[in-house]
Amino acid sequence: MNSNEAAAQSLNPILFEVIRNALSEATEEMSVCLQRTAYSTNIKTRLDFSSAYVDARGRMVAQAFCQPAHLVTIGRIVPRAVAEYGAKNLRPGDVLLVNDPHRQASHLNDIFSISPFHYTDELLGYVANICHHVDVGGGAPSSIGAFREIYQEGLILPVVKLVSEGEIVADVLKMVLANVRAKKEVAGDLRAQISANQIGIRRLTQLLDRYGAPTVNFYIEKLIEYSEHRVLAELARLPRGTFEGEDQLDDDGITSEPVHLKARVTLDGKSVTFDFTGTDSQRPAPMNCNLTQTFTACVYVLKCLIDRDIPLNEGFYRPIHIVAPEGSAVNATHPTAIVGGWEVSMRLCEVLFKALSSALPEQVPAGSKGMVCHVGFGGKDPNTGDYYCFLETLGGGYGGRVSSDGPDAVQTHIQNTQNAPVEETELNYPVRIPRYSLVPDSDGAGRWRGGLGLCREYVYVGHQPVVTILADRAKFPALGLFGGGAGKLARYLLITDTSTREIPSKGSMQVKPGEIMRVETCGGGGYGYAWERDAELVLRDVREGKVSAKRARDAYGVSIDTVKWTINQVESERLRRQLQRKKR
Amino acid sequence: MSRRFRLGVDVGGTFTDAVLISEETGEIHIAKVSTTPKDPSIGFLAAVTQILAKSGAQAPNVSYLVHGTTVATNALIEGKTPKTAFITTEGFRDLLEIGRQVRPSLYDIHFQKLRPLVPRDLCFEISERLDASGNVLRTLDEHRVVEIAKKFEQEDIRSVAICFLHSYLNPMHEERTEQLLRKHAPHTVPSVSSHICPEIREYFRASTTVVNACIKPVVANYLQGIESQLKRQGIKAELLTMQSNGGVLTFEQAAERPVFMIESGPAAGVIAANFIAGNLGFSDVVSFDMGGTTAKAGLILGGRPKVTKDYEVGAEARPGAGQSRGSGYPIRTPVIDLVEIGAGGGSIAWVDAGGVLRVGSQSAGADPGPICYRRGGTEPTITDANLALGRINPRYFLGGEMDLDLQGATEGIRKKCAIPLGLDTIAAANGIVEIANAAMVNALRLTTVRRGYDPRALVMVAFGGAGPLHANRLCAEMQIPRLIVPLSPGTASALGLLTTDVRHEFSRTRIMRADQADADAINRIFVAMQEEGSELLRREGIPVSRMSFLREIEMRYKGQSYELPVTCGTGPLSAEALAQVCSQFHGEYERAYGRGYPTEPVELVNYRVTAVGAIPHPPVRKISSRDCGVDQAQKGARQVFFSESGGFLSTGVYDRYKLGPGHHIVGPSVVEEMDSSTLIHPGFEANVDSFGNLLIGARAVST
Repeated sequence: MNSNEAAAQSLNPILFEVIRNALSEATEEMSVCLQRTAYSTNIKTRLDFSSAYVDARGRMVAQAFCQPAHLVTIGRIVPRAVAEYGAKNLRPGDVLLVNDPHRQASHLNDIFSISPFHYTDELLGYVANICHHVDVGGGAPSSIGAFREIYQEGLILPVVKLVSEGEIVADVLKMVLANVRAKKEVAGDLRAQISANQIGIRRLTQLLDRYGAPTVNFYIEKLIEYSEHRVLAELARLPRGTFEGEDQLDDDGITSEPVHLKARVTLDGKSVTFDFTGTDSQRPAPMNCNLTQTFTACVYVLKCLIDRDIPLNEGFYRPIHIVAPEGSAVNATHPTAIVGGWEVSMRLCEVLFKALSSALPEQVPAGSKGMVCHVGFGGKDPNTGDYYCFLETLGGGYGGRVSSDGPDAVQTHIQNTQNAPVEETELNYPVRIPRYSLVPDSDGAGRWRGGLGLCREYVYVGHQPVVTILADRAKFPALGLFGGGAGKLARYLLITDTSTREIPSKGSMQVKPGEIMRVETCGGGGYGYAWERDAELVLRDVREGKVSAKRARDAYGVSIDTVKWTINQVESERLRRQLQRKKR
Repeated sequence: MSRRFRLGVDVGGTFTDAVLISEETGEIHIAKVSTTPKDPSIGFLAAVTQILAKSGAQAPNVSYLVHGTTVATNALIEGKTPKTAFITTEGFRDLLEIGRQVRPSLYDIHFQKLRPLVPRDLCFEISERLDASGNVLRTLDEHRVVEIAKKFEQEDIRSVAICFLHSYLNPMHEERTEQLLRKHAPHTVPSVSSHICPEIREYFRASTTVVNACIKPVVANYLQGIESQLKRQGIKAELLTMQSNGGVLTFEQAAERPVFMIESGPAAGVIAANFIAGNLGFSDVVSFDMGGTTAKAGLILGGRPKVTKDYEVGAEARPGAGQSRGSGYPIRTPVIDLVEIGAGGGSIAWVDAGGVLRVGSQSAGADPGPICYRRGGTEPTITDANLALGRINPRYFLGGEMDLDLQGATEGIRKKCAIPLGLDTIAAANGIVEIANAAMVNALRLTTVRRGYDPRALVMVAFGGAGPLHANRLCAEMQIPRLIVPLSPGTASALGLLTTDVRHEFSRTRIMRADQADADAINRIFVAMQEEGSELLRREGIPVSRMSFLREIEMRYKGQSYELPVTCGTGPLSAEALAQVCSQFHGEYERAYGRGYPTEPVELVNYRVTAVGAIPHPPVRKISSRDCGVDQAQKGARQVFFSESGGFLSTGVYDRYKLGPGHHIVGPSVVEEMDSSTLIHPGFEANVDSFGNLLIGARAVST
């Protein structure tokens, strides 16, 4: 049978499913390759990367994420980068690099690698991946420091060719490596990015050999229509109206002024509009995001609220409209700093869930960690003499849900990075981690309590690294929903022999050997009134040491006999009545 | 000399299969009884009783018994484990609670984080600390260990996992803790991380040890129960269980390290495939096992099944980077590497909200089962589609024991799939089979191409009730040139139990740069593990002449975290031999990831020794030749739909039991037997070999 003719005529629902799976399989294969060949802990262990296939018209077709934060980034940057570089200037075996946030990439650490996919001399599309590199230069190790301008944040890659027809362009690589601190890791991760694209092309070629370009392109078109059609069907099902929410970030990283975020979500049955008018103007500070990062938050929240089975591609995005005033903290313009863009985007998810809580009360969580919570450090490794950099992001409490507690110590929303194993970290970097634990009593009280935050301590061995924190939630907690309490605030501490002092949630400092740097992330908010919580669950929490007996009494109105591990029923009823009265 | 027999007993989800082989003649007997989930030993013993009665074999003549079981996994999944505690380094009590700090599902607001197997109030911290080189930074607080031991006695803690930071480099504190616990808490069984899984990354080592601790009392109890009952029946055979890595383990060892037998059942299938192909001289094999709920693909290279250590117990089967991470309890013991997908005979077909036909991963299971089983199933399944297309004989399912409802199946497909899709019923049924096949092709790709192995150099062995029905088409898609379908495909897994060797795997981590490696240190590591292995084998009664050892080094480029294994010889390693191992590594790397980097520094990470105690295989029984021609084995013909032909073709139907060596069948045809049907597509042909296998290939190739 001539497949080309068949394709021109009608859709075969079976072939549709086969090609759809094969396309996403190709991107999955890229991701597996990336993970297995990467060098930095951030990629190989913490999975801060994603891969995708974009068609010749620049439309997102298939992607394999590890991180939801990468939901729309590749689809935004590839068409832009290709337009700028010129599709006609691309040859098989080329790899382009780009990381410029003011070209709608994300922050500088996220380097995209893009390769053209040619099949029988025809340019059919692009394979691309995004990796968060552990260092891209700039004012502080790990490149997450708080500065005023993009130029201070690190090396800006406009669209440059790193690999030309299979050969690495030595001058470009030299230039990149000269500007970064952790040279071996960045070089190794770039090699992994090149390999991943190679593997993706290998696999797509096999698919094209099997079905031919006209058939595959026909089904790509159908796949995009299919997603759009299903998103529209879901939108028709959602309640209609305009819903508002707001929240604020502790500060902008340079001044102590909070950053106010505001959103209005309009559902009209055919489309969804996210309007951020009323959000603060951008500042010369790191807590701004670009339109790509704002769009990411919107797609993520929508994806959570509708059938999760709908494939993510260009069609998914079509019914989504964004209004984000240019020059505001959610659509920042050149030359402002932007490294905290994901912190802002993460908090936008919270704002949007909060806005939609009245429309979809059973489908949204109470306030959650709602920050990425980056911890980075670097310096001269006393053992090797090399400049090393380390970066990780810490989990925290998730918000309570309509019928279950918020999980303890997890990544939230657009982020799902794994933790760095302590043994691997201590083996590879001159640091010791004396504590990694939950933070008891950090829950937001509620019928369903918020999850606990976590605590991690760092002690540096034989050198004085520069440590950077890029986080939040030290002033404004994760709020509860429907009567639930707020989670405990995060704390960033430096503990010396003589003192314990709070350090800012954004910024860099030198830490001496023997000093303990301690991060306690925030707890999640509660869902529903705490006095309605099943007393047996309170008993379990106290028994497990997650909630103290005192807090059980004060916040939940449950009195517990900690010798016999029983609930004092009469006393508890009295306490609960008291709590209820106080609330009214 | 009296007749001697080997007995294999495979306790599956639905059935308990027993296989008995005569050591002299290779004659095989099979028994099938229902599994008894509440106490699987009842079904086990029933199967043994039945097979002895059927075969006429005497209990004392059973010389060797191998057991495949999911009792360990089930105890975990059903939460039927006794009170277990966890002891770790101060500051890390929440190691299990925090886990990897990830959500198992990215967009599910209502996700649940895996509940630790040990509740937080039974997790204890002890002051002690090693650094990343294994040196003691803080000595062990022995006083505190004794205090905890007393608490164990008071609270009736039956089992405990011990895992200290960096103990994989230096087990001193763990071993001392174990010693003190044995003395002061004699009723608590310890599991020690540096013994169970001496590898870097604390959460994974701890999780492996905790899984072991949780199932240890259950498994020990179960195996002891079986052992004493078998003794009562007069069976004095050596009792062995199948491990997840495909080797066998004595009951004694299995009770000590039960985490090694967590995937005992599926491993047996791959071993069977290896045995069947090996008899015919093939050593590079894809095993394809398709049953009622899932299909599993595994890879065997050079006669050795691929083994992985990246495994989660009870995880959702979803291949893909980062997708299903965190949905199960990770273990780092070797497990035969299978890609398992939700496409079995009972997998349900449906039309999704976007008007597209989907198959799986929901399954109708055994109850209610497919519509055609007449047990109240209402959703069309892969089996219903196969029936509607004429690929299954409604009058000869399970040898005629079950009369299938063809009309019901057809009607179900019409209503649930064909009408919503605007297709006719046959096109929809064909769609179901094609989509299931596409999913299986993906699984096969993950097993082969993704790892850089060319399917054109492989042979497939297909088994499981539904495997032979789909295999020919899959081979054609994958360009796998040869397909073997053994006799009795439905019980092939139980046969696997009897065709494996005793196998113990050891590993140590010691990271060093290849160009600065200390060959003596490596030799010492290998020799120590080999001695441990031969000691174990000796205790299990394996003579030295049947012991063999395989050494591997897991390597990577310095800076990476994922290793590739490279085999090295069993003699002392010299500097030249190390260089050879390195160049092998560059080659392996290029094969897997497209490009090697010979100028980059290479690191040696893990050293592994596999100690094998060879068990002589039973002779394989040849089938007798038939006087008659192949036409006498033909039962008749019926109309079967073939998608490549776009319609029904008149298809010969053959009785497997009447086929003899040398018989030759041309597709399209169907070969029917008790527990399966084999489909031979147009353009293909099958030859019957002297063991009764069907060897299927393209017509031009195999003549």
